[in-house]
Amino acid sequence: MSGGEFQVWGIILLIAGVTLASRLCGPFIMRAVPITGWVERFLDGVAVSVIAALVAAGLAQRGPREVAAVAVSAVVMLVTRSPVAAMVAGLAVAAGWTGMLG
Amino acid sequence: MKDFQTEAGATFANGVTLTGGGVLRGARGLLPVALFVVPFGVSFGVTAAEHGMTPEQAIWMSLLAFSGVAQFASLDFLSPSVPFLSLALVALAVNARHVVMGAVLSPWINALPPGRRMLTLLFMTDPNFADSYAAFLNGKRDMGRLLGGGLALWAMWTLGTAIGVLGGKALGSLDAYGVDVVMLCFFTALVAGQAKASRYWAPVALSCAAAVLLQGHLPQGWDILVAALVGGVVMAVSGGRDIAGRTR
Repeated sequence: MSGGEFQVWGIILLIAGVTLASRLCGPFIMRAVPITGWVERFLDGVAVSVIAALVAAGLAQRGPREVAAVAVSAVVMLVTRSPVAAMVAGLAVAAGWTGMLG
Repeated sequence: MKDFQTEAGATFANGVTLTGGGVLRGARGLLPVALFVVPFGVSFGVTAAEHGMTPEQAIWMSLLAFSGVAQFASLDFLSPSVPFLSLALVALAVNARHVVMGAVLSPWINALPPGRRMLTLLFMTDPNFADSYAAFLNGKRDMGRLLGGGLALWAMWTLGTAIGVLGGKALGSLDAYGVDVVMLCFFTALVAGQAKASRYWAPVALSCAAAVLLQGHLPQGWDILVAALVGGVVMAVSGGRDIAGRTR
């Protein structure tokens, strides 16, 4: 095994280890935190915000095509209450945009 | 739907269970989303090959790490002398949201015995977290929903990686079919589904504003973490009723 290959395996194990630790430590920390009304509301707010922030950050890095797709999927979700329908609608908008405008 | 709670024979605190039937239902429920993970896996496999990874290495990385953002970020660190400390900090930042997701699910997850708790958490990622949290709020108590959804996503992520790293550049870009926006649209649907309740409007609006304003000002990953914490604080101090009906 060459030195370079050894380093690649080092990267793989490091990424796997840090990711595993990040998955395990949330519930572990919360064993020491009493769940009061404030903590409950905070976690409820964090839960929806982390997903919303992923969308907002994704859109900030992209363009009008992605904004249109996300807007349509939000409307479809509010009307149909089906995440799969919302995904398919957003995908159709993005594919159509690329097909027509390049 | 039939209740399979009794089939594993064990019910823990808060009525929490982890059943085989729940795992199967969780996997089936998230399969439509997981299928769209395949193209992301393909693009990781292609990019990993371009950065000099062997098929064996790329596939093992997807199996062991199961974190698209961290895996993509790590490819930039492939060099003759790897800066392992910087790489660890980047991995920590892009995975920081796992900590808040785990904390959010802790009332249910921590009811499981340690072994099953760890097994379930190994496969926690954005789509099955969002799906399970909504289900648990609605009274579902089978942690199989989280584990099964995670297993489906993990299998498709690894399958996509294998196709990409073995198939290489012959595959080309899948963006023309719109697959690049599928995750954004899935997350949008989950937020829109929850945001019917007006108490979520302020946290969602302010966390989105924070995420956009912080673009380029913080290292990758920290912007999401700060935006999520902003939403949590706004929710906590906004004086609305909490789940148990108490007021501030």
